[in-house]
Amino acid sequence: MNQSDFKRISPYLYEIPRSYRGDMRAPARFYADAELLQQALGDKSLDQLVNSATLPGIVAYALAMPDIHQGYGFPIGGVVATETPDGVISPGGVGYDINCGVRLLGTRLSREDVAPYLDDLATQLQRNCPHGVGRGGAFTLNRKEMAEVVREGARWALKHGYATEMDLERTEENGRIAGADPDKIGPRAYERAADQLGTLGAGNHFIEVDVVDEVFDETAAAAMGLFPGQIVAQIHCGSRGFGHQVCTDYVARFQKVVHKYGITLPDRELVCAPLNSPEGQDYLAAMKGAANFAFCNRQLLTHLIRRSFDETLRGKVANAAVYQVYDIAHNMAKIEEHEVDGRRMSVCVHRKGATRAFGPGSPVLPAVYRDIGQPVLVPGSMGTASWVLVGTEGSMAQSFGSTCHGAGRMMSRSRAKREVQGGELRRELESRGIRVRAGSLAGLAEEAPEAYKDVDRVIEVVHGAGIARKVARLVPVAVVKG
Amino acid sequence: MSRMTALELPDDAIRIIDHTADWALRVRAGDLPELFRRAAVGMARLLAGDLAAVPLDETRTLAVAADDAEGLLVEWLGELAYWAERDGFVAPQVEWEAFLPTSLAATVRGGRPAELQKHIKAVTYHDLAIRPIGDGLEATIVFDV
Repeated sequence: MNQSDFKRISPYLYEIPRSYRGDMRAPARFYADAELLQQALGDKSLDQLVNSATLPGIVAYALAMPDIHQGYGFPIGGVVATETPDGVISPGGVGYDINCGVRLLGTRLSREDVAPYLDDLATQLQRNCPHGVGRGGAFTLNRKEMAEVVREGARWALKHGYATEMDLERTEENGRIAGADPDKIGPRAYERAADQLGTLGAGNHFIEVDVVDEVFDETAAAAMGLFPGQIVAQIHCGSRGFGHQVCTDYVARFQKVVHKYGITLPDRELVCAPLNSPEGQDYLAAMKGAANFAFCNRQLLTHLIRRSFDETLRGKVANAAVYQVYDIAHNMAKIEEHEVDGRRMSVCVHRKGATRAFGPGSPVLPAVYRDIGQPVLVPGSMGTASWVLVGTEGSMAQSFGSTCHGAGRMMSRSRAKREVQGGELRRELESRGIRVRAGSLAGLAEEAPEAYKDVDRVIEVVHGAGIARKVARLVPVAVVKG
Repeated sequence: MSRMTALELPDDAIRIIDHTADWALRVRAGDLPELFRRAAVGMARLLAGDLAAVPLDETRTLAVAADDAEGLLVEWLGELAYWAERDGFVAPQVEWEAFLPTSLAATVRGGRPAELQKHIKAVTYHDLAIRPIGDGLEATIVFDV
């Protein structure tokens, strides 16, 4: 594949026509500028985008966001909507970390309020929030309690005193997706994640303390309680081993039935089944359960972050309270209504490394955000900016209410480890005033900023294309990595 | 406590391949059982960093089946990844009790290294094919990490 295979259809949108490959059932579209397009041609991500355009029942086009990078099956940054009830659902189109997502927490504190205590705060966050490979947490649940988490999501945390009603109100799906069925989830998922609730995990997951660096949309920022110089915190993590096992089990099960439905695919990781089949319905119920586990996981981490702020800052600042701004998923399949070619229709929107970005007025948004659009949280790479955006009418019209989810990798993990020294990176970040608490220096090197695209450029594309609007830019002051 | 000593394998037997977001292993061997064994060794290296860090103080058995050899490879490594996450158990030594292209039974030996270097979420089917090369076989396995 090369640049000449793309038709530029607007300043930030390229299209690969259906004629590019005989098995495509729809064109493939990619939001990018010339440089991001060139970067994406450096790995297999755009081939994976074309592969995702072969899914039976695909509606309109396969989409990729500007933070696209190579994944497995779908590219990371891919969005595919399929018809309901006859189109397919693909576990690989959601990914193993079901409902991986981002939560943004606000405070009433300024950078100056926290500056003298920042080292202590970073250390306390590291101490209180279990992170890293193989680390279990304080919330060990039996099977019955886990089934409750599967059904109730973050509401389980509310029942046990680890959440507020406001937290739930400001979470996508209110932190609980209806229709989750614990019995559609195999025993291994329960065993694998028995002690993983309230844990961060490893890889690119993190907790970060940030400062609001600049506000671009004062109305939307005010609705979210954001102001320049404010201390906020982000959580990036998902459903841990629970979701990984749910996806693994269903990818294996779907391999056995895909031929029964006459489906041929260019990559077995795209394996799928009709949404209205027993297998499709079972996966949907299991995926919702894993998504609920993830909502609860981020909620319990929120509780631990609140405790960290309180333990570090109580009595030293006027108000150490931490409130929820929003929580969004970026690995999920959702049954949604969208307008396609002037017709309102129900579709199953797979977002793998892409964020839902519903525009103003959507009835699924909490009342506090209904006028501004869905808050979209886009973490950058470690040490660089993160962004708060909102969904727009444009995202509803163009991208099934979807936008980007991060900076997007462009360097392999092995190359990052070869080229970046974890210790040096930590020193460099600390010399810029960013406190770093990392589980492993090798893991830190893999997540070096050089391994990622320029998040500001990614944001310019989605803002310019009209599939999200800038609200605020955040810069990090403390990072806890797995 | 015994620990793994250096393996005598050809240079190109197990190689980590660049992948933008995840980890991939390219494995080569003369036949299918050896390919599967080397894949397990490669995964143990990813998990433990250094095989010398893995104590060989525990033996476990497992049996898996699939519809084809690629599916069997995913199931086989998936079992080992599951043990790594649930118990911190890494198994670099493998003995086959039975081996067919669509089913296998094995006794594995390994233990819990002080620290796991990697967290493998899943073994994927992405672009997975066991291909003939020269007088042997090759497979590239992508792990979601």
